[in-house]
Amino acid sequence: MTEITVKIKIDGEFKRFSYDGDLNISVTTLLEKLGGIEYSCSCLQGLCGSCAMVINSQPKLACQTFLSDEIMIHEYKLITIEPLSKFPVINDLKVDKSKLYDDLLECEQWIESDSKMNYDEIDFEYEMSLCLMCGCCVEACPNYDGNDFVGTPIAVSASKLISQETDSNHLKILKKKYKDKFYPHCVKSIACEDVCPMEIQTQRAISKMNKKAVWKLWQLIDRD
Amino acid sequence: MNINVVGCGLAGLSAAIKASELGASVSLISPNYSETSQSVMAMGGINAALNTKGENDSIENHYADTINGGCEINNPKAVFKLTNDAPKIIGWLEKLGVSFTRDNDGNVDLRYFGGQKYARTAYAGARTGKQLVTTLTSHCRKKEARGQVKRYVGWRFLSLIIKNHQCLGLIAINENTSEIRAFKGNVILASGGLNKLFGKTSGSVLNDGYATSKAFMQGVTLANLEMIQFHPTTIKTTNKRILITEAARGEGGKLFVNRDGKPWYFMKEWYPEFGELMPRDVVSRGIYKASNAGADEVYLDITHLDEHTIKVKLDEVYNICMKYLNLNPIYEPIPIFPGVHYFMGGIKTDENHKTNIEGLFAAGECSCQYHGANRLGGNSLLGAIHGGCIAAQNAYSTNIDTNESFIRKSLENEQKLFDSWRDGDEKNIVEAENELSDIMNASMGMYRNFDDLDNALQKLNVLKNMKIDSAGNYYDHVKINSLFVLASACIKTAIERKESRGAHQRSDYPETDENYQKTTCINFDGQIKISFEGLDD
Repeated sequence: MTEITVKIKIDGEFKRFSYDGDLNISVTTLLEKLGGIEYSCSCLQGLCGSCAMVINSQPKLACQTFLSDEIMIHEYKLITIEPLSKFPVINDLKVDKSKLYDDLLECEQWIESDSKMNYDEIDFEYEMSLCLMCGCCVEACPNYDGNDFVGTPIAVSASKLISQETDSNHLKILKKKYKDKFYPHCVKSIACEDVCPMEIQTQRAISKMNKKAVWKLWQLIDRD
Repeated sequence: MNINVVGCGLAGLSAAIKASELGASVSLISPNYSETSQSVMAMGGINAALNTKGENDSIENHYADTINGGCEINNPKAVFKLTNDAPKIIGWLEKLGVSFTRDNDGNVDLRYFGGQKYARTAYAGARTGKQLVTTLTSHCRKKEARGQVKRYVGWRFLSLIIKNHQCLGLIAINENTSEIRAFKGNVILASGGLNKLFGKTSGSVLNDGYATSKAFMQGVTLANLEMIQFHPTTIKTTNKRILITEAARGEGGKLFVNRDGKPWYFMKEWYPEFGELMPRDVVSRGIYKASNAGADEVYLDITHLDEHTIKVKLDEVYNICMKYLNLNPIYEPIPIFPGVHYFMGGIKTDENHKTNIEGLFAAGECSCQYHGANRLGGNSLLGAIHGGCIAAQNAYSTNIDTNESFIRKSLENEQKLFDSWRDGDEKNIVEAENELSDIMNASMGMYRNFDDLDNALQKLNVLKNMKIDSAGNYYDHVKINSLFVLASACIKTAIERKESRGAHQRSDYPETDENYQKTTCINFDGQIKISFEGLDD
């Protein structure tokens, strides 16, 4: 048992709590024990992305972040917990992620045709379908500010759909939306890949989309 | 035609997509986005007799296995449709773009699952549910862009609007703004299982069972509430009990306990033909017995499988063990025990997913028709998608006259209740929820008996009469009071079914009794009424 200080950002200010107990617990369990703090959760096992928050300055899923693994706790007996900063706060640690979903709609992230079967790309498509929409990637991104830039979820989603779509008009739309709303804003900090809880290789998605939607030479060689 | 779908997991998504394709204007109402639904947690796969493995599998076999697994109290007409439509559903999902794992011939690969002799479970890596949700969400987005589906995220179902046995719509509350509004039109409930009754189960905490409990109190018939599946292999973590997919056994995982310093593979010894792939209720009981009711540790051993299988086909098992147990399953067996996983019972529907109230339909885990006394692994994803589609088709062909003044009055009444509600001061809601789950876990476990069940009812009666402090949250206030009623209904069904069958095992009635080869029906008219109905009634 070790007593630690828990700093939680509520209404823009840090409030201090103390916790004295087993450190081999997740942050969601810690929040449950403290009580009275609102946050989103659903699966409690790292599969749904609801509980993304900023823990010791890193965007993470609270349900799979253990106190015992946090260096700040070992060094300073301290943990800070904040809501994701790139979204409006609803209450306490609960945020409104609707912008992410509005952007998926705006960028027409679907296919119009029956899906083309790409046997060589199944593993890639599987990986890109793992996106939780948790928001960790855009939280870590130095360029995402919730305005024009749509963020990595669009690149990840589009990189799968662009191989499955055979409707040429919609294929053009998928490319154009990427070229307009993602490409000019991303400076390849690779922060998104570093923090993705599903370990999606976001740079593969971005490279593929750049190749298919932006770089003219590639499009001359590899028309589709 | 307005169709209101409550819940945005696979059943709700399928219903919304299908209803909008037919031409309905769909409202999709849910507390959070589809990515957070319980459906994403389903790992193992989805059953369909595709017969691509040269085993002579057939729809008839799938039907027979489902009925046998359900201990012959499934709705046979519903199972017939389910199993018949399963291959078509896989074809539909492929067209939509689900990245199913493929075999060497390029076919959708199939794996072995419990209660089935044939490889019949299509899968996408170790995260089949997630892959299905991603694809259906993308497809639903297209409908949203065209104005055919409108999502209401952050909204909680409050009540149905029912007049003269007809459902005219529903009332919901926005959790963030407390806005209360009526949604006119037919209703499809796809609100998931009754997890909250047991505290934390292997499923989502969002699936609290409130919609089912409220519908019940408004006259909707429920069925088979005593049939609660304990998944054989769950692990204990500080978050909750987390499920280890049946695919681990499908790929060759073995169960053992240590006896005299050696592993004893009890399932292989007791059931030489199927071994670890007996239906879940049988495996769970095997674990219970082999462990001396939990006194000894039971292990799931996959260390003999090759590393590629564990890290690719069972990657979620690997990740869960590494993250939550700090245990590498490539080298060490996994300590497991059965845990509450799935509710076979729920809102009673016929094979068309119609409830006893005209204009009200139910699909997915909140509904009861396919699974009888025990669900086979791989049939839940199938049942959710199939149920959503069938419910949508039938909702679209059911016309209920709109009664604007009654709907307005219902909304006003709900608003009055909201405006006038007051928190109680006798018991904090967290304590009340903990007491509720303690009562349910103690009495409605894998083995039940009259004394425990009766004792639980008495404790519930005390709890029911207390004024709960819901910390100012109206939804929590209405939820906890309804769940007390639903919990009582569950326990009463377990008392009335005086036999052992599937997931319902009575230590005081250990035999299966043919007289109970029936559906348990539960109705509410101020009192909970239990009856048994023939399967074809």
